[in-house]
Amino acid sequence: MKGAELVIKSLKDKGVQYVFGYTGGAIMPVFDEMEKQKVFSFIMSRHEQGAAFMAQGVSRASLTTSNPQIGVCMATSGPGAMNLVTGIADAGMDSVPIIAITGQVPSGVIATDAFQESDVVGVMMPLTKQTYMPLRVDQIEESIHEAFHVATVGRGGPVVIDIPKDIQNQETAADYRFDPIAFESDLVGMLYSPHPERETIRKAVSLINRSERPLILCGHGIISANAGDSLKQLAEKANLPVAFTLHGLSSLPVDHPLSLGMVGMHGTVESNWALLNADLVIALGMRFDDRVTGKLDDFAVNAAVIHVEIDPSEIDKNVKTNVSINADAGGAIQQLLRDPELISKPRRLWFEQIETYRSEIVDEIQEEIDTGVGKEGQLLMKTIVSKLSKATGGRDIVVADVGQHQMIVARFYNFQTPNSWFTSGGAGTMGCALPMAVGVKMVRPNERVWSISGDGGFQMNIQELGTIMEHDVDIKILLFNNGYLGMVRQWQTLFFDGRYAGTPMKNPDFGKIAAAYGIPYQRVAEVSEIDAALAAAAEHKGATMVEFLCDPSEIVLPMVPAGGGIADMITSLKKKK
Amino acid sequence: MTSTHPMKRRAILIFVLNRPGVLNKISMLIRRKMYNVETVTACRTHRPGISRMTLTLYEDSDDKMIQVIKQIEKIAEVLSAKELDVDNSFWREVAVIKLEASDSLMERLGSKYNFEILDRQENEVFIIQMAGTYGLIDEFMQQLGEGKIIETARSGFTAMEK
Repeated sequence: MKGAELVIKSLKDKGVQYVFGYTGGAIMPVFDEMEKQKVFSFIMSRHEQGAAFMAQGVSRASLTTSNPQIGVCMATSGPGAMNLVTGIADAGMDSVPIIAITGQVPSGVIATDAFQESDVVGVMMPLTKQTYMPLRVDQIEESIHEAFHVATVGRGGPVVIDIPKDIQNQETAADYRFDPIAFESDLVGMLYSPHPERETIRKAVSLINRSERPLILCGHGIISANAGDSLKQLAEKANLPVAFTLHGLSSLPVDHPLSLGMVGMHGTVESNWALLNADLVIALGMRFDDRVTGKLDDFAVNAAVIHVEIDPSEIDKNVKTNVSINADAGGAIQQLLRDPELISKPRRLWFEQIETYRSEIVDEIQEEIDTGVGKEGQLLMKTIVSKLSKATGGRDIVVADVGQHQMIVARFYNFQTPNSWFTSGGAGTMGCALPMAVGVKMVRPNERVWSISGDGGFQMNIQELGTIMEHDVDIKILLFNNGYLGMVRQWQTLFFDGRYAGTPMKNPDFGKIAAAYGIPYQRVAEVSEIDAALAAAAEHKGATMVEFLCDPSEIVLPMVPAGGGIADMITSLKKKK
Repeated sequence: MTSTHPMKRRAILIFVLNRPGVLNKISMLIRRKMYNVETVTACRTHRPGISRMTLTLYEDSDDKMIQVIKQIEKIAEVLSAKELDVDNSFWREVAVIKLEASDSLMERLGSKYNFEILDRQENEVFIIQMAGTYGLIDEFMQQLGEGKIIETARSGFTAMEK
């Protein structure tokens, strides 16, 4: 068999159904074989970065379906592979398993600066869990099978396989054999399957039982382990309030009585004040990112910390723990639940305190939502998102880009469906939403998918409208256009005396762009039009786009200023000193 | 390489699968995480396909050392990584030194230090090889005096636990 055939065979053996990518000279043999065999759907992105985010969409969204898949993207050598880099780095930061297969110049000319040559392995190595360059045809299958193993074992992450073109064309020897079922990787470091000791669990339970002011911080690890139900059981059984990191959202219905919503830089007042005043932080599948902790020296100074985390290198990295449990969040919670000592406590004072926190700015925010327009008379994003949340019952899937609108969706969308929230967190990659939504829709075809972007991020991967058109991908695109890079503008308003350097943007006629791609388009400038526009978008079969003219003066609050501690949280500009 | 650094010198012993790019990954990690690394040595072991690396660095904080080891363990090809107990391990290096010295000085040094003369040139120029602890090599070089040394090549540490 030829190398290219083995690539397709391996992907088929691993159950791959979707491959996203862009062809080019050095990957042609693989594409040719793909066309001959047609064993999976190939979706051509319009830029390789789009393909990487589509692959992320598949891995993330299929996790909770009956058919979990690993997203695969493909690109040619040189510029093709380099264009994947941002999407792959993003997957690394957010622990998303994806596989990237890149063509490389023929092995004989590697390191000669050949046409479209770049050092893919060298570039990808610090961004991925592992990189491969098979230099013989008989290494292809084992590389790809090991790549899938490495990508998914423990904490997920991206893996790149860079295959020189001559190896894609090389024929296997007559005695070549590879058994995909019997294959086992010899990377012993990657066989890791942590099982916490009973004594550790007992210590954690004892801390929980003693705590008067506990707080669970639910991270991405709960989503990755599909452990929302277990989290719910734990929170309810031991009566523990839950705050969510950005990627922890949608683990539980966000209006669950024990839920305090998102924590961190743009978290809710109640979750941040609870974190500040807690006597016990129970961190489940999260890594104490600076957007969650604020200034580390001031973080949870009065609290004991239980840290459940699958990646041992995250334990004690940013925050010193009292009890650390190196395990996947789902397994660890099950063990906590099985411990007969775990008790429920009323903690009435603590819950009353939390209610006081909750009420602090609730009226002010509700007033803004009801008014619907900002200082410049244009729409407020929080009003649109609140209406979307109401219209969908919080049951639809939401994919958000990066910036103000992302934080507003995280705050005001009433997530009900497990694993229904996708965005770029760690890397904060503008432009992620449109392509990620394409991947999400492929594996969750029966659910409605809203892709929400600002005018900045939307234009970073606007070319993927072509992919959406070609494959008639049924996603509802909401464009929050305020003519600015809103989040940076917000920092400029608050910390740079209102000098708007590099944030105002002259935008094209988005209606004409939508029309050029054959995508139905609505433009909304009035509060009274929002509901009808959302309803029309929801009912339409196929892709559709709604542009909202948003108020540039909207500020996402609360906000913990970068470098500040949670105690420095700005809850209201009216109260700002 | 004299030990004038204010922080504690510590060593990590790493066993790795001998696959392409492992050394690159370790050195990238050092750069990325800004570890204060002094020496890295790598060699094959008697077990096929497995190499050992000894890494020495300056670090006072035990927490930071644990982090370094965890980050190293995260590399797919790493089989094990552990800090060597200074009091319970041998750290050795080899120095090849080109020096200028009179026969009488060489004789005097030879009675005190164990080295091998690899080459003797005219004008009292010698190339010698000596192996031992870093302290011993440092001391030898001090005895010799700066003016006498033409060139030095030190291997960096390799180490083994008792």
